[in-house]
Amino acid sequence: MGVDRSKPGSAGRVTQGTRPASSLSVSAREEGLRNRIAARDEQALVELVDLTTPWLLGVAHAMLHDKDEAEEVVMEAFRTVWMSVTPTTAESRGLLPYLLRVTRHRAIDRLRGRQRRRRQLALLTPHELERSTVAPVEPNEAAQPGWQLHTQVHAALGNLPAEQRAAVQLAYFEGLTQSEIAAALGIPLGTVKTRLRLAFGHLRLALAHMKDWVL
Amino acid sequence: MTAHDWFTEHRAEFAARTLDAADEATFQAHLERCEECRREVELLDRELAWLPMGAAPVTPRPGLRRRITEYAVRGPAPRWTRWAVPIGAAAGLLLAAAGWYAGDQRAASLADEVALSRLRLAAIEDTLSVMRQAARVLQAKIDMDGKQGGLVIFADSKSHRWNVVMHGLPPAPPNGRYQFWFIYADGMVRGAEVQGDSSRPVMFTTGMPSRSGEVMGAALTLEPMDAKDGPPRGKELAHLML
Repeated sequence: MGVDRSKPGSAGRVTQGTRPASSLSVSAREEGLRNRIAARDEQALVELVDLTTPWLLGVAHAMLHDKDEAEEVVMEAFRTVWMSVTPTTAESRGLLPYLLRVTRHRAIDRLRGRQRRRRQLALLTPHELERSTVAPVEPNEAAQPGWQLHTQVHAALGNLPAEQRAAVQLAYFEGLTQSEIAAALGIPLGTVKTRLRLAFGHLRLALAHMKDWVL
Repeated sequence: MTAHDWFTEHRAEFAARTLDAADEATFQAHLERCEECRREVELLDRELAWLPMGAAPVTPRPGLRRRITEYAVRGPAPRWTRWAVPIGAAAGLLLAAAGWYAGDQRAASLADEVALSRLRLAAIEDTLSVMRQAARVLQAKIDMDGKQGGLVIFADSKSHRWNVVMHGLPPAPPNGRYQFWFIYADGMVRGAEVQGDSSRPVMFTTGMPSRSGEVMGAALTLEPMDAKDGPPRGKELAHLML
């Protein structure tokens, strides 16, 4: 059962304020892409795929640990965008955040539908809890648009206390529920809730300045 | 603490989808009627929108761009096309298996035919070898109910076998049968029973009895049907001496 709480044309506003200095940050491109995709321009879709697929695959693969399934989830996310995107308005939100959200939600839906999920949880080791999903990659603006966003998110994650970062890792990048995190870490559910609440509070503050960034 | 406080506390968890299934459903139902929570969750969505960018990027495999765009624009392939390749492969395998089975059956059948033909050829060669190596050839004319027939014996002394040809004789009457005999000094020893057929010669190869060195000749009689043993009781049609 999917939970898709956002629409690409829903609340939000593009500002001309703080934006990453990468080529992705040009709002004119975002606006142009959105309008062309809304007009059923397949070449625009190809451009969006080229710009965003590595990040979407990263999210899906981090959660599913399966290349084929990750690709299927990303394909479904683009299908959702293609079918629902509307021309740019003052309320339009970014295409990439929307794709990231749809991709993550679909990956979670798949993850929670898996029969073997319990077995996978049982196999998580303390070492794996600190593994590379949220480890920063070397920034390379020329090779991979979006690196500045990646760097900023990592700076925010890196400032979290280790136990909060581990909880966020499992919740956000592995797709575990609070109860599953408690079982995986062997700590009370209330402790998990507290850690996540504190972590999300810190992250909201740390990432707030990026909330209106666009592709 | 009011009931709404629970929803206030869990907004971030709902936005991040870390609530358990039952709590998530409860929160989802609450959002339908709570403008404040809906607004706050939307704000959280925006504030945490870039958090997934923390995952390391993955380089797409070759061909993924084309598959993504085709899927996005045209949607999932119809079910039958998704199964077409596996079904085609399965059908191909079945056909191959059926072909192999049929071929195998045909090969087995041909092998049987070849083996039978070899046996027949060996029998013919053996028969001819008796005739070719025969040291003696005996021949007698037979007059049977106005029909002219005969008996020819090719005697091979090396293999101690005779090749016997009976020709021109009609089928034996219902109460009789043709009987071949070996002649000894002390009497006659019963040999093969022969079926008469006037339309074509009857040929058979027979080994010599145990006292082959003492055989003096051969005879053909028309025996009564009930004469199964003992000396000849019927009419003698041919009598040949070596």
